[in-house]
Amino acid sequence: MASHEVRLEWPTGRTKTVTVREDETVLEAAGRDGIGLPYGCRTGACGTCTGRLLEAAGHESNDEQVLDVDDAFAYRRCQRALKDRHRADGYVLLCVAEPRADCRLAVGPSVHTELVENPWK
Amino acid sequence: MSDASTGSGAESEHDHAQHHEGPGYTTPQAAIEEGGREKLAYVMSLYVGTDVDAPDFVAVVDLDPESDTYCEIIDRIEMPNRGDELHHFGWNACSSSCHMEGLERQHLIVPGQRSSRLHVIDAADRRNPELVKVIEPEEVFEYDLSAPHTVHCVPDGQILISMLGDADGDLPGGFLELNEDFEIEGRWEPPGEIEMNYDYWYQPRQNVMVSTEWAAPKTYYPGFDLEDVEEGKYGQQIHFWDWEEGTVEQTIDLGEEGQIPLEVRFLHTPESTHGFVGTALSSNMFHFWRDEEAGEYRAEKAIDFEAREHPDWDMPVPGLTTDILISMDDRYLFGSNWLHGEVWMYDISDPSNPRRADSLSVGGTFGDIREVQGREIVAGPQMLQLSLDGERLYWTTSLFSSWDDQFYPEEAERGSVMLKADVDPRTGTLELDEDFLVDWGECPAGPARAHEIRWPDGDCTSDVWQ
Ligand code: FES
Repeated sequence: MASHEVRLEWPTGRTKTVTVREDETVLEAAGRDGIGLPYGCRTGACGTCTGRLLEAAGHESNDEQVLDVDDAFAYRRCQRALKDRHRADGYVLLCVAEPRADCRLAVGPSVHTELVENPWK
Repeated sequence: MSDASTGSGAESEHDHAQHHEGPGYTTPQAAIEEGGREKLAYVMSLYVGTDVDAPDFVAVVDLDPESDTYCEIIDRIEMPNRGDELHHFGWNACSSSCHMEGLERQHLIVPGQRSSRLHVIDAADRRNPELVKVIEPEEVFEYDLSAPHTVHCVPDGQILISMLGDADGDLPGGFLELNEDFEIEGRWEPPGEIEMNYDYWYQPRQNVMVSTEWAAPKTYYPGFDLEDVEEGKYGQQIHFWDWEEGTVEQTIDLGEEGQIPLEVRFLHTPESTHGFVGTALSSNMFHFWRDEEAGEYRAEKAIDFEAREHPDWDMPVPGLTTDILISMDDRYLFGSNWLHGEVWMYDISDPSNPRRADSLSVGGTFGDIREVQGREIVAGPQMLQLSLDGERLYWTTSLFSSWDDQFYPEEAERGSVMLKADVDPRTGTLELDEDFLVDWGECPAGPARAHEIRWPDGDCTSDVWQ
């Protein structure tokens, strides 16, 4: 089974690289390595496990180019917690995403808080 | 008075036992007289979605002012997994089974709202409850249900749980029934009765149950998105069921003024068909009752909380009335406006015409009181619980992890608090108890959120009378 190097990056600067097989999710592989990523439903419904794609197959996400997350991942189940705007911005649900390329991901609980904002503020 | 040395305590217990053999109290008034002061609270406590890499837990809080550990968390029952989002919970038996010999109020059913995992806690030892059983999410998903919410017992020993979604976290939701041995019995209602689900309450003597609507789990789980409201993805209906049959008899659409009907309560008096539902987004209270002549239920807006302007915010801010409860004597409706930072009490002795009695402006966006004992209050009042005698109102400050993050991001860093107000039911007044503070910011693993509160022997949101 092919696998990919997935580098997890927290806002604190901490990083960890996990080898993730194509038949396992990033969340499963991280759990196997004892890395505590946030999660809730594990079915693609809640968004707690959200990560953001920073780089895939050597291409970085920046102002000029937005990466297509679908090139970097296959999904075990539908990503119901994400809207089209989230997918377009590189968000991905790590409980259902199986890698198809080496990549870098922003992780940690602050990532899922970026999905919505206070609508009255 | 319960001076054991004179034997009077034992006698009155004996007296009580002659009236009924099962759990709870024979009437709401009996609960007030016999329940005694709350000395412990069980509080849902959670870490899901934060930096703290620990499982959620049930906190046992000491509420006995005579105790050395008053206002402290004296025990924590940790869940076996992370990521549950403990939210609401309930008993295996309450006063609705007070005729059932041998049945006891002993087990707490504690669902994970996000995980769909169900936990059973044995609280025979009230101060040191123990986790005794876990039903894994996969088992729940087999019934094409997820996102467990409200737990009530059914009078003959079963347990009914409102489920907000299907196995994918989409619609429709439904109800899951457990048997006396805490095994899944199956789906309670025939499929297709409702789409959205949230809270429910039943009034067995009237053979009626009422249920409310939040949204599909996939909609509310990630946070509150106004776009979803515009697209009609949040609820505004309440459903009246035939309790025996498990079928919806009548649905009332509350309209624009009734968006997101959450907590729903019948009056405690078993004869009553009156009740209230708080519509969180519209921030209104609806009164409902059975119109005997028409042979159906009616609902009418009875209290309207105005949105408030905030100098730095774009739009008027709704109160977000996220929790309500009715005092055991059915005299007062209490509620919380989580976004504004207010708890209030209304006289409902005439339920069609609630009359404002008092309110307290504390925490939240606009609250006057910003700290208690030097502890900054970073969110508004949320889940409420009232003493059986109606003289002490307690509340916690977390709504739902992802919604907290949106409106009160500091709640994750600081943790929740539990606060208390003294209530004078005679004069209809509320006063903050400045000596009372339970701080989840001091938990050993890190700051935790706190949500629903229950007393060990029945409270104003647990018990129903048959
Ligand atoms: S854990 Fe809920 S979407 Fe991944």
